[in-house]
Amino acid sequence: MSVSIIIHFTHVTREYDAGTHVLKAVDDATFSIKDGEFVVILGPSGAGKSTLLNLLGGMDSATSGSIMVDGKNIVGLSDDTLTEYRAAYVGFVFQFYNLIPTLTALENIALTKQIVKDPIDARKALGLVGLADHANQFPARLSGGEQQRVSIARAVAKNPVMLLCDEPTGALDSQTGIMVLELLQTMNRKHGKTLVIVTHNTALAEAADKVIHMKNGKICDVTQNPTPKALSEVNW
Amino acid sequence: MLRKMLRDMARHKTQFVSIFLMAFLAIFIYTGVGGEWRGLQKSVDDFYAETNLADAFLYGNGFSDGQVQAVKDTPGVSVVERRLELSAVGDLENKPILTLYFVENGEISKPFLAEGVAFDKNNTDGIWLDKRFANAQGLKPGDTVGFVANDTRLEKTVRGLIYSAEQVFESGSDTLTPNFADYGYAFLSAGAFPVPEMLTYTTLLIKADDRMDTGRWASSESGADLESRINSESRDDLESRLDAALNGTYNVYLERENLPSVSMFNNEIQQHKMMGDIFPVVFLLIALLTLVTTMTRIVTNQRIQIGTLKALGFKKWVIARHYVAYGFFLAALGAVLGLIIGPITLPYLFYPSMSGFYTLPEWKPAYDVSFVLMAIVLIVLCAAVNWLACANLLRETPADTLRPKAPKSFRHGLLERTSIWDKLGFNVQWNLRDSSKNRIRALMAIIGVFGCTALVVCALSMNDAMGDLKVWQYETINHYESKLALGEATTQEQIDDIVTQVDGETIMEGTVEIRAGSNKKSASLLVLDNTTLIRPTDVNLQPFDLPQDGVFITQKMATALDVKQSDEIEWHIYGVEGWTKGQIAAIYRDPVNQGITMNRAQFEAYGMEFYPTAILTAKNVTESKAGVDSITLTADSMAGWDDLTEAMYIMVYLLIAAAAVLSVVVLYNLGLLAFTEMEREMATLKVMGLKSGKLRGLLLTQNLWFSTLGFAFGVPGGIWLTNIIVSLSGDEFDFPIWLHPLTLLAAFVFTFGLSVLVNLLFSRKIRRLDMVESLKVME
Ligand SMILES: Nc1ncnc2c1ncn2[C@@H]1O[C@H](COP(=O)(O)OP(=O)(O)OP(=O)(O)O)[C@@H](O)[C@H]1O
Ligand SMILES: [Mg+2]
Repeated sequence: MSVSIIIHFTHVTREYDAGTHVLKAVDDATFSIKDGEFVVILGPSGAGKSTLLNLLGGMDSATSGSIMVDGKNIVGLSDDTLTEYRAAYVGFVFQFYNLIPTLTALENIALTKQIVKDPIDARKALGLVGLADHANQFPARLSGGEQQRVSIARAVAKNPVMLLCDEPTGALDSQTGIMVLELLQTMNRKHGKTLVIVTHNTALAEAADKVIHMKNGKICDVTQNPTPKALSEVNW
Repeated sequence: MLRKMLRDMARHKTQFVSIFLMAFLAIFIYTGVGGEWRGLQKSVDDFYAETNLADAFLYGNGFSDGQVQAVKDTPGVSVVERRLELSAVGDLENKPILTLYFVENGEISKPFLAEGVAFDKNNTDGIWLDKRFANAQGLKPGDTVGFVANDTRLEKTVRGLIYSAEQVFESGSDTLTPNFADYGYAFLSAGAFPVPEMLTYTTLLIKADDRMDTGRWASSESGADLESRINSESRDDLESRLDAALNGTYNVYLERENLPSVSMFNNEIQQHKMMGDIFPVVFLLIALLTLVTTMTRIVTNQRIQIGTLKALGFKKWVIARHYVAYGFFLAALGAVLGLIIGPITLPYLFYPSMSGFYTLPEWKPAYDVSFVLMAIVLIVLCAAVNWLACANLLRETPADTLRPKAPKSFRHGLLERTSIWDKLGFNVQWNLRDSSKNRIRALMAIIGVFGCTALVVCALSMNDAMGDLKVWQYETINHYESKLALGEATTQEQIDDIVTQVDGETIMEGTVEIRAGSNKKSASLLVLDNTTLIRPTDVNLQPFDLPQDGVFITQKMATALDVKQSDEIEWHIYGVEGWTKGQIAAIYRDPVNQGITMNRAQFEAYGMEFYPTAILTAKNVTESKAGVDSITLTADSMAGWDDLTEAMYIMVYLLIAAAAVLSVVVLYNLGLLAFTEMEREMATLKVMGLKSGKLRGLLLTQNLWFSTLGFAFGVPGGIWLTNIIVSLSGDEFDFPIWLHPLTLLAAFVFTFGLSVLVNLLFSRKIRRLDMVESLKVME
């Protein structure tokens, strides 16, 4: 099948002023991601993985370079335009879920009504993650895995082009973690969302279409995986 | 640790400076105003004690030796002395009015010597002159002054300049602000009276027994307490015993507390006391609030640090001490500075303007232990509140502290079970949940706005009331330009002469005592003689025509006596024996005189003699006439009124400024607190793609809700506050307080304007919200 390139990084650098010197959290990154691809970003701590993901998600601005998404450069956009970009393209899944504690599971998902015109119905989204009967629970009453599933439902409900996940299983036990990853993979395979996951779990690489390795802010290797395994076959 | 504290303080400069300032202001004002009114209280008490001010006064047409003995024998009376009070006109360019006291012994209500030689009751050619009058006239001891009293000219040598404790407020003049050149008083010995055999004593000065002296006469009691107590027991006791002893052969019985000078000054002190009590509480509340919000913010932000310190093995109390030190040092510094600076500065700001109205031998602030207590209370409160703000965090185990804050568990409220909930929309749902989760914060915001609204409404309606009163008095009721007060000796020919000359109308004014059931009140009397230049107003302040017959009573007096239309009342004119009974035919309202009015025909039908005390005219009369004591021009009175309101405006501005500070500080701090607590949620929403405008809307909605609630309660609160202040202005005033729609609108715009303004301060914060940073804390 012919798939188009949806994301293209060219010489992207993100610098931080570290007092005595300039720290390049992301250093001259160039790569591309195709529509519907499952990408895993790997690397040691402090390599710049989160920074890269935040740049892609429009939460942070690159110092130089260009990030083309769906044919538009998102580097240097105004705060409001970036917000519109996030609303339309990006679904974020965080390590610590970041659900609004004062809103129920269903209401957390229904929030998307405030953001995009025609989101997926909140109940349906909750059904997708298998939590239909927890609709009226507040986050504090849900387990970590359940909270993460709600947060995925919330990200998906906006019907975004891509799902960006920063260590989505970092706070979960491995059993629950796999369940969450399976869910994410379903979103990718069945619903065609481009999926980018930052993780420390190298085993996940076996299931991805593409693996980006980072070190000291640089992209040291991008490997294409011709035969990605199903999560159940991965050797954890 | 000290360095860490200083660095934290530098980072939260504004908050800590405001905590310090508020602590300082609270104590500064408390001790400053406290020192001021306590100083007044002490000076005046000393003044009363030193001059042996009479406890009670009896006025009559001449007290004989036998009567003095009878009073002396009355239980409860210890010392009695007589004097003659006489009005005289000074032989000076501006024809000042002098009240002369020819005293028998000079033991009670003694003059207080300021300059010259002490009063001598055997000296017959000397006079002891009111010092303020003497200063205004440039008179010194050794000078000779001439004056005319009862058509007799006298000339005396000034021996000394003195103050009288009965004249702290010189009530002799007709204008509201005393003019010391126009009015004065003087002490002379009884022997100085030109024809000693003709001397009739008009006043009995009475000192009560020491036994009764304690408590009962203590002027430190609040006016209301004192009055009710005197009303209930002692006054009736002593008064009725004196009444029996003298067989009612006197005109007026007056207790010290009811002497105009004493009660005026007492009211003044009460007003200052109230101001000195209210403002510090406001500032204290702001200080505490700022402290809570700032410390919560710091401690929340330093959660991980605290956990680390704990894990490193720091004892809990060491960490607690560190955080409590923030508030403690600031509060202590502010309080001590306020304690030192307050009493030595603020009183001297008040005293100069006060001395334009009042006369005291000494203007000096007084200290009180309560100053130090208040400062200690403030410091302890700040430290306690500070501790509370960090206590939760410190109680946790280090592991808990290091872990990100667990979301609070939350239950469904009542409203949410109804079907309305789903229709409310996200903004409303969010804010309902958020405010019910943070009830204390919501309550504080509402109280803050409440206070702000109450202060603004109070300030504005007081401002309105002053203006309303002026219009009411000088435009609606009074239509004359000049009022000519007639002397006691003025003949009917002279009166008729003046009436034709100035095209005037005569009235009779006096003082009466009114009785209705068990209630008794001293009141004013006005007898109209086909008068068209005074237009009485009904209870709605609209001019109306009084009936021909019957007695008319002011609304305030009717309320005080608990009587209504067509009830019967009894009164007796001071100076005339016997009680008269009449039926209330109308109720009217008057701003400055509370009492009764009737027409001349009715007055005479009751068997009383009408003698004019003043002539009113629409003409501007400036040159004096034979038989006329003094002339009051309405234009002058209005100018005097404006002078008086000038002082009020300062108070109004102060109130408005305090309101603004209160609301901005409270709303900003609470907003900051809310923002800190919601930062993560806000960042999450922003990441999801919610626009800054919508986020601002969330905060604004909350702000507007609290403002609306605070405003709704604040308006009645402000009216209540105004009524309290107004009630302190004295019994004879009738201030109608009603809220002008425009005033309400102004208060509304002010309160909500500030609320929106504070919200604008946050919009930048929201736009600048760093999502990566905000969400990182946990990652
Ligand atoms: N706000 C900042 N200011 C300065 N330096 C920063 C900032 N944020 C990140 N860095 C630096 O950028 C580098 C990359 O950080 P980043 O969070 O992207 O790493 P990471 O690969 O996600 O690590 P981890 O796997 O531990 O989450 C780090 O060296 C970090 O110190
Ligand atoms: Mg990371």
